[in-house]
Amino acid sequence: MPQIDASFFKPFVEGTLKTFQVQCKTDASHGAPFIKGTKPEPIFAIAGVIDISSSTFCGRISLCLTEAVFLGMMERMLDEPFKEITPELQDGVAELLNMIFGQAKVVLNEQGHTIQKAIPTVLRADQLVATQAKVVVLPFNTDLGIFHIEIQSDS
Amino acid sequence: MFSPDTHVLVVDDMMTMRKLVTKSCKELGFTKITDAADGALAWAAIQEANPPIGLIISDWNMPNTSGLDLLKRVRADGRFGKIPFIMVTAEAEQHQIMEAVKSGVSNYVIKPFTADILKEKLEAVHKKISAA
Repeated sequence: MPQIDASFFKPFVEGTLKTFQVQCKTDASHGAPFIKGTKPEPIFAIAGVIDISSSTFCGRISLCLTEAVFLGMMERMLDEPFKEITPELQDGVAELLNMIFGQAKVVLNEQGHTIQKAIPTVLRADQLVATQAKVVVLPFNTDLGIFHIEIQSDS
Repeated sequence: MFSPDTHVLVVDDMMTMRKLVTKSCKELGFTKITDAADGALAWAAIQEANPPIGLIISDWNMPNTSGLDLLKRVRADGRFGKIPFIMVTAEAEQHQIMEAVKSGVSNYVIKPFTADILKEKLEAVHKKISAA
């Protein structure tokens, strides 16, 4: 198992549930964490990624969405239909991750972490490459399908 | 509450957030909304707007000119210093909020948010202005 304390996950789970409920009017449920590569996964079309470097954790947090989940969430968030992931629309995944990260950061820093402000980036399907590092997957389910928060620790 | 005719400037580097804030403003009845993708474009819009900007709703985290930089610039200019300025941020840490308050922010909205939350914040700002 990667050396990430389970208490590190909880603020990300809570931030994710709240973000999707408030901003996308979607109730998500979360499943048991697992190590990436040990279970079948959906084909993700887009991911928001934040690199974290602090005194207690170095790695990256990703929000990975299938095309159906991403387009559905954007439709619910902005009240307009979308048929494809355009360059203009794709920053929506970064913004959702930014909201999740912002909430988690407050809780983690209260616990003694020293996580700094970070700007999320967007990766499309062809940029989502497998990594040698161990990655903990926090799976979520919604009426639109499955999505993941993935936590990769470099330390 | 602010008049629906108030000219609102929405500032965010992310298109989806500009759309989201604009949608929320429309839900609250605002009819004149301009948007800008960064602080520099926002500053240009503030100087050129006709009718003048009456409310600024800006993201905090933006490349080049941040929302905080824009706020300080607005507050330092006698022509625009009294425009109500709402900061939208995913950063809810106390020291960051205090920094914005010290720089003269009128109120702040923490993401994620709904139109109702924005309405509450705007009402609080309007009440403060009316009482002054």
